[in-house]
Amino acid sequence: MQREPLAIRSIQVISGLVLIVWLVLPLIPLAIWSFARGWRFPSLLPQAWSLKAWEYTLSDTAGVLDSLWLTIWIAVCATLLSILIGVPAGRALGMHKFRGKALVEMIILAPVIVPGIAVALGIHSVFIGLGLTNTVIGVVLVHLIPTLPYMTLVMAGIFANYDPAFEQQARSLGASPLRTFWHVTLPAIMPGIIVGGLFAFLVSWSQYVLTLLIGGGRVVTLPLLLFNFVSSGRNDITGAIAMIYILPGVLILILTARQLSGRSGAVGGFGRL
Amino acid sequence: MTRVAITNLSKTYPGAATPSLDSLSLEIPSGEMTALLGPSGCGKTTTMKMIAGLLEPSGGDVTFDGRSILRDKPEDRGVVMVFQNYLLFPYMSVAENVGFGLRMRKVPKAQIAGRVARMLALVQLPDLGNRKPSELSGGEQQRVALARALIVEPKVLLLDEPLSNLDAHLRLEMRDLIRGLQKQLGITTIFVTHDQEEAVVLADRVALILDGQLRQYDRADQFYKRPANEAVARFFGGQNFVRGRSENGMFQSVLGPMILPDGVARGAGTLTCRPEAIRIGAAPVNALSALVMDRLYMGTQTRLRLRVGETDLEAVLSPDVVDGIAPGQTIQISLPPQSLWVMT
Amino acid sequence: MSDRTTIILLLLPALLVIGVLFFGGLLIGVMRSFNYMPVIGLTTPNLDAYAAVFADPEFYWSFLLTFHIAFTSTVISAVIAIAAALLLRRSFVGRGLISFLFQLNLTVPHLVGAIGILYLFSQSGSFARLAAEMGLITRPGDFPAMVFDPYAIGIILQYIWKEVPFIGVIVLANMQSIGHDYEAVARSLGASRWQAFRHVLLPLIFPGVLSASVMVFAFTFGAYEIPAVLGANYPATLPVLAYRSYTDVDLAARPEAMAMAVVIAVLSAIMIAIYIRATRRGIRS
Repeated sequence: MQREPLAIRSIQVISGLVLIVWLVLPLIPLAIWSFARGWRFPSLLPQAWSLKAWEYTLSDTAGVLDSLWLTIWIAVCATLLSILIGVPAGRALGMHKFRGKALVEMIILAPVIVPGIAVALGIHSVFIGLGLTNTVIGVVLVHLIPTLPYMTLVMAGIFANYDPAFEQQARSLGASPLRTFWHVTLPAIMPGIIVGGLFAFLVSWSQYVLTLLIGGGRVVTLPLLLFNFVSSGRNDITGAIAMIYILPGVLILILTARQLSGRSGAVGGFGRL
Repeated sequence: MTRVAITNLSKTYPGAATPSLDSLSLEIPSGEMTALLGPSGCGKTTTMKMIAGLLEPSGGDVTFDGRSILRDKPEDRGVVMVFQNYLLFPYMSVAENVGFGLRMRKVPKAQIAGRVARMLALVQLPDLGNRKPSELSGGEQQRVALARALIVEPKVLLLDEPLSNLDAHLRLEMRDLIRGLQKQLGITTIFVTHDQEEAVVLADRVALILDGQLRQYDRADQFYKRPANEAVARFFGGQNFVRGRSENGMFQSVLGPMILPDGVARGAGTLTCRPEAIRIGAAPVNALSALVMDRLYMGTQTRLRLRVGETDLEAVLSPDVVDGIAPGQTIQISLPPQSLWVMT
Repeated sequence: MSDRTTIILLLLPALLVIGVLFFGGLLIGVMRSFNYMPVIGLTTPNLDAYAAVFADPEFYWSFLLTFHIAFTSTVISAVIAIAAALLLRRSFVGRGLISFLFQLNLTVPHLVGAIGILYLFSQSGSFARLAAEMGLITRPGDFPAMVFDPYAIGIILQYIWKEVPFIGVIVLANMQSIGHDYEAVARSLGASRWQAFRHVLLPLIFPGVLSASVMVFAFTFGAYEIPAVLGANYPATLPVLAYRSYTDVDLAARPEAMAMAVVIAVLSAIMIAIYIRATRRGIRS
């Protein structure tokens, strides 16, 4: 394209700068609070700095670490189950045409769009009868509602670009179905499983209201703890937990930056984080 | 009618070490059809986008009838570019596509409808106005793209590989349509192509660009008869090259003395003779005896690989002429003087 | 094994999980909202819960507020996202940084964003301190209420913060696959820069914008934790109200909570219908 007039170029530069500032702005007070010791109105910066909030957060007595491990454990379980169930379903949707496919897609897509609270109340009253409320298993199960559709849709995209001729070639060379899957299919879809899995992990990692309802306040994951501290006005500890809480996302971003470009369709699930 | 002059036009993309287009100069006569020919990546599409105002040149100038247009916005230049893949707007009907340029110029709706209908008739698609582009064949899409460009009565029409997306039989039909419309409307037209056949059948003049530089700018037949150098000759399918000297109408080389046509410059050079010009049988002048190395049947033609002394030659002949000639045989051939040309 | 059997076997686990958990949960919710629970002896469905919900003025305020939040956030986010995508698709200094921040932002949970907005915009937050520094206000109470406020400004700001990158990334990918050539055609046919955007690029990206916006609308309509952190007590948003009724000590309020959950579900079902039509149109063109 032709070079823009100066006015348009300067508008671009200015709006770029505003965008950059706006995107990082909400994270700044959180980071500052985690190192603050007393930060009363109207000081622009804390009167004193300290590591107290971090010491507390990382101590054994505060329960933050327990909560961290619990959150990781739940997210890992939900992710693995989603992979186990979502990969076959993704294969069916990505590689096959069949009657009722649009309906199946809609069924799988529905939980991505319908808010969790709309179904969580009903699930809760069923889980009471099954003894699954206030348990980790119950929370893992309910986390499947957002993670499984997500994993399935990512895998459907992967399988849509996968050529089944490789499998037929392997079979004609004498490989059993199981060996074909292990040596041909799995290596081909592995990058998709890893990326989809990491994002499914993040989806579970970010759940709040499903954990709150089904866990009944007994299964205290990191976001529940974060909510408690923000409600009780402990801004310094809130800041520290928030920093810990966004860490996996940053790590996963660095690992998979190329996959997040939006073209992969993987982004779809992030609206719900 | 618009005369287009390109002077020292250059483009170096940011970060690139070598220019994509290096100081191109061309004069395109008013109302003529000119081909920019070259392999992909030689800078020809870059040239077109710079004329259209879609890309900014690094240097040089483009003038229409002597007036520089580089400062004009793309929409004010009177240049319309038709892309190779047509790029019909998918959510608009055929008629809306054709009328697009008029709508952008705020021409009244009633007037647009009439002009669209006339233009669709001109490209021989009178009844397709309500269709969506996705319902058209490739050839039909090409016509719609052409109609969409011509309706705004451009001073200069730019076509990107106009025939290359079409089947063999459609190419001829489209060639006639484009030639006919261009002559009828008298629009100065520039098109780019990588296919020498497409250039030759469509263009009045051809500009051959190799490695970002203009190698020859001439009437189409001259590229076969009088190529500027070996690279140009090879691009147009030339095969036979013999080094030597031209003196007093004769060419001295390992093949022995050859009679040249009139008008060949003196001095050291390379003799070339098109494969299809080589004759079989005894001849009074420029006769040679050649060993048949190989023969390759190609349907309507047969290709013979010949050796004269240490020199390899290729001849393309009609199959009935080579009947009974087999590899290993020695045959008489001749290089008719009027088919010879010496490049320096 | 026939193709049909294979497909059924491949899909079965996923459909079972989603069917039982999601649709089961939905169904139970609907049944309870009609006071129909054969297990505990309620065998005649009635509309008592809905009557109670629809008789309560708080429900209407809550519905209006929730709709206002979802609609305003979605429209503003979509407009800014399109502008940001237009900016990001051309090369300029800082493009890499913005793209990285967009992606970073996608991974940050909404709850963290909500707390960040709280610390920025509350009456003792960073902006209030800045205003005090500049001598504009003397007490926190002088700073305009932007969180816990009746217009839900803080909630909308946090949604804009999170959803501009979400829609932006989708629109940008959309624009990149469309390329610049359609606009180049339009320009060479005489369209101005604005006309090329308005008549060519915008219609081309519209299906993508619409489907992303529908997801954002449904999410912002049904989210709980963001209004719980940033919202006023009265009126609360519909999800907050539903959660409150459900956890009320008075168990009689539960069917009312379910009725509100059903309202949220119905609205998102409408969104799904729009989404499907949008993606269909997108695929066709």
